[in-house]
Amino acid sequence: MKTWLAHHRQAIVATLARMAQTPFATVFAVIAIGVALSLPAVLYVLLNNVTRLVGALPAQPEISVYMRMDATQMQNDDLHQRLKARSDLADFRFVPRDAALVELSKQAGVADISAGLTQNPLPDAWVVTPRSSQPDAIAHIATALQALPYIDSVKQDSQWAQRLNAILGLGHEFVTLLALLLGAALVAVSGNTIRLQILTRRAEIEVSQLIGATHRYIRRPFLYFGVLQGLFGGLAAWLVVSLSIYLLDRRVADLSTLYQANFQLQSLGLLPGLILLLCAMLLGGLGAYLTVTRTLFQSNAH
Amino acid sequence: MIRFDNVTKRYPGGHEALCKLSFEIGEGEMVFLAGHSGAGKSTLLKLIAAIERPTTGSVLVNSQNVGKMGRGAVPYLRRNIGLIFQDHKLLFDRSVIQNVLLPLQIAGFSRHDAASRARAALDKVGLLKREKANPITLSGGEQQRLCIARAVVSRPALLLADEPTGNLDADYARDIMDMFKAFNQVGVTLVIASHDEDAIRTYAGRVLHLDHGVLQA
Ligand SMILES: Nc1ncnc2c1ncn2[C@@H]1O[C@H](COP(=O)(O)OP(=O)(O)O)[C@@H](O)[C@H]1O
Ligand SMILES: [Mg+2]
Repeated sequence: MKTWLAHHRQAIVATLARMAQTPFATVFAVIAIGVALSLPAVLYVLLNNVTRLVGALPAQPEISVYMRMDATQMQNDDLHQRLKARSDLADFRFVPRDAALVELSKQAGVADISAGLTQNPLPDAWVVTPRSSQPDAIAHIATALQALPYIDSVKQDSQWAQRLNAILGLGHEFVTLLALLLGAALVAVSGNTIRLQILTRRAEIEVSQLIGATHRYIRRPFLYFGVLQGLFGGLAAWLVVSLSIYLLDRRVADLSTLYQANFQLQSLGLLPGLILLLCAMLLGGLGAYLTVTRTLFQSNAH
Repeated sequence: MIRFDNVTKRYPGGHEALCKLSFEIGEGEMVFLAGHSGAGKSTLLKLIAAIERPTTGSVLVNSQNVGKMGRGAVPYLRRNIGLIFQDHKLLFDRSVIQNVLLPLQIAGFSRHDAASRARAALDKVGLLKREKANPITLSGGEQQRLCIARAVVSRPALLLADEPTGNLDADYARDIMDMFKAFNQVGVTLVIASHDEDAIRTYAGRVLHLDHGVLQA
């Protein structure tokens, strides 16, 4: 256990020293990894902000309920009782057919048509406001009302919410896909720097194996190199995200004053940030592992 | 300690470097491996350290069949064998003492123990004053002694030396042979390959003669 710890500390120090030996290559690789990671991270943060903004909008979806033309007053009363009994409604109001016709004829161009009518073609209607703006909740209410025999049709005004949710979902999938692609790029970048490292240290690896080094011993410094490089790249990405959000936030602040709203962009939180670092380290280590393993198995001094 | 049973080594390409070798080397022996260049001396030493594997037959070291040894076990076998390579295999990107420290780091010695052992080994071969030098600045004889220090630093019970006096003047060669004798006197088993028959004859010891991969009686 003690020698194990000593080995690891020794490996970290040696890795940092090796990075310092080739400052240009190290900085270059860290920037490459940082940029690759910051792209999905920035998108993720923006998407979260949009989701938050949408949730804060005073969205009041409505459901229009049209009675059958032959519905009686008793049936209207029945519906009134039922709506009153529901706890998931914020509000509801009755629109009598005559009032609806008056409303309609007020609208430009429709007045002439309604004047020529001998009969009112409009049914009695109710406008219901659900308490929740969740598409599921709205659909649930609509289905329940549709099932009543004296109701002709139910129109829910929640399509915009569904569309927005679909778009946000698409955005999340896009970010995930981008993260996967750029994660693979990170593995490749890490693998490539490790490959160069191995080339410059061929003699050392060969001698070490000849005098009793295990594969694990040979692999360790390279794994450390990959993991530390990933860590620095992850930190660079975090910095890029924070900086971008900081700059964007000033624009957003201007905008939200114009709209008399108070919306602040949220940057990458602590937990997502730590997850970003962890992923960067894991992927950097993976690139190193794959490269070293391939090289070890190829070398004939085993 | 070492036992070859009917060992044949054929390299890829069909060349037979060793042919049906059988012999035994006991603990504490000092054995010379003689023969012309290309006779198979290096190959024989590589079989003992599992750097090469026999094509047929078995190579036993401490009753372990090293020819059939798994990849994971080979490093631990090698840690108990001091190897002196024909081409030195010194690392010129680090100091003399760093070269000697390498086997100890691999074996997981603490920094403190490793440093004192490495100094003791360098002292034994007379290179303690050069510990900070780069090995490339050492003379041929000094480089050879550095190889010896690296081979003995982890105090192996078995030392394999491939042409340790290869390109050295007679005086240097004698120094090195005296060192080997001293190791042998404290119980280390040695197998020393050399094509220099004269040098071998001056040390009355057991000699294994190889000729085109065949052991001479
Ligand atoms: N890796 C190898 N591949 C093919 N042939 C080899 C290899 N190593 C050695 N040989 C051949 O095996 C024979 C014995 O070589 P070696 O053991 O190095 O002899 P020595 O050390 O006595 O000079 C030589 O003919 C050499 O060419
Ligand atoms: Mg040879």
